[in-house]
Amino acid sequence: MPATIYRRSTLLVMVLFLLTAYPLTAEQADAENCNLCHGLALFGITTPADGFRSFEVTSEAYRHSTHRNVICRDCHTDVNVFPHPEEVAKVECYKSCHITKPFALTGYSHLEQSEAHAISAHGSNPEYSAKKNAAKPDCKYCHSNKFRNVINNESLQENSKHCVRCHEGEGLAGVILHVSSHSGHRTAEASINVVELCSSCHADQGHMKQFDVNLTQVEGYERHFHGKALKRGLDEVANCMDCHRNHLNLPADDPNSSIHPNNIQQTCSANSYCHSDVSGKFAASAIHSEPTSQNNPILFYVEWGFIILTATTMALLFAHIFLDFGRWLGDIWLRRKEK
Amino acid sequence: MSQDYTRFTLSQRLQHIFMFVPFIILVLTGFPIKFPESEFWSVVMSAAGGIDNARVIHRFAAAVMILDFAFHILYIGYNLIKRRPSLADMHLVPNVRDGRNIIENMKYFLFISDERPRFHKFSYIEKFDYWAVFWGMFIMAGSGIILWFPVLFSKFLPGIVIQIAYIAHSDEAMLALLAIIIWHFYNVHFNPRIWPANKVWYKGTLSEEEMEHEHPLELEEIKAREEASK
Repeated sequence: MPATIYRRSTLLVMVLFLLTAYPLTAEQADAENCNLCHGLALFGITTPADGFRSFEVTSEAYRHSTHRNVICRDCHTDVNVFPHPEEVAKVECYKSCHITKPFALTGYSHLEQSEAHAISAHGSNPEYSAKKNAAKPDCKYCHSNKFRNVINNESLQENSKHCVRCHEGEGLAGVILHVSSHSGHRTAEASINVVELCSSCHADQGHMKQFDVNLTQVEGYERHFHGKALKRGLDEVANCMDCHRNHLNLPADDPNSSIHPNNIQQTCSANSYCHSDVSGKFAASAIHSEPTSQNNPILFYVEWGFIILTATTMALLFAHIFLDFGRWLGDIWLRRKEK
Repeated sequence: MSQDYTRFTLSQRLQHIFMFVPFIILVLTGFPIKFPESEFWSVVMSAAGGIDNARVIHRFAAAVMILDFAFHILYIGYNLIKRRPSLADMHLVPNVRDGRNIIENMKYFLFISDERPRFHKFSYIEKFDYWAVFWGMFIMAGSGIILWFPVLFSKFLPGIVIQIAYIAHSDEAMLALLAIIIWHFYNVHFNPRIWPANKVWYKGTLSEEEMEHEHPLELEEIKAREEASK
């Protein structure tokens, strides 16, 4: 929508606050000096329709982001003139940039991930309306653009704890391993953040109702050991992506899905710290939906059995205790009355 | 002349200690995971050194408790074989008198009668306590061991058994904790006739007055036996 905003240029107010002389540090990725303007605090435009829209890229966030070594125009490909064109293309993650893959000479791109996403449950479905497709997460929904968002220190610390679990004290060898095996990594985010991210849609039943999916996935996960232990800080338990994969999220009835009955056994033991040598029976038990009298009657009635047993036992024990205590109080009262 | 009467032998008192110390540790390291969002259990979890430590401590305490229970089963077996007691001598076995005592006690509670039931060595209240733990041990240890080695057990048991074990372990833990802090603590601590505590768990003996009050039928039998052996 940036184009329409620009056309209402009579209503446009350019906000340019030179609050302070901005410390410009020599950054490799800012070889083209974009931060000369975009590094200014509160740099942006205000329109009556949309309010303030920030174009600010804070140096702090920029230096710490994943894309700190990528030149701005590697992604913002059509920003070639100054002043910039009114209409600029959206950044597409599958375009290759000037970074080269380690041990390869090809330009780096997220094409592979983008293609997996396109055919996954999160990709757009031609049978769906545009609105329904727009309700699905695109690259940037999950990979929040950290150029624009000032990194939250707390989550940064949480995430680095996650890295240190394996890389503590590994020195240069660790760094080499880190670079060369980056694509084989579980996730750069702490597991708790992954669950939070997926839950931002999947726990919202109002949002998920429009899709043909299980509405109690998140509740089921949180009832399960993985969910509970994760909340208590056990990072190696499975998060959503460990079983459902990161880009190729497919429904269980798709034979290529990581949670298809034929593949789930493999999925449970995919990581070295997960369950090794699992049987088909074990894999079949790893469901996290809420048990109902229809989908899992045995579990449903076992659970109710315990609730009824506990409630009845406690009711009887409490009744006994109160009667016993009542008799004791009554005796005191009677003795006083006699005096 | 007032004298003390042995209620629990040293072995029985030790069995109780080796049951309740692990019990407390298991509650403190288990409930924070049952209630992952509770602030109260967060404090307990940090005191236990975080979830990684708590999981190790939980398993260690569980092993102690299971060994204690296994010892108890052997202890019962040994005594059954050695002493060959009659049914009437097996004081923990529920019997018709318990039913009668419940009715008498209800009448007493409701001021219908002023006579407290005359209990033998173990009242129905104490028998309930004992058998609740006995049942609880099978549920908790059984489900706990399955959850300890889920992959191993799923090699010969259907997958749903792991899910049942998960529910059973969590829910039976709640039942056991409530039974202990409400029922057991009332009967041995908070009952105003007992308050602040029944010391028999470490002393092992009851005075003649206590016997007269809590276990008159047993006292009567002991005295009759003494009389006969004179």
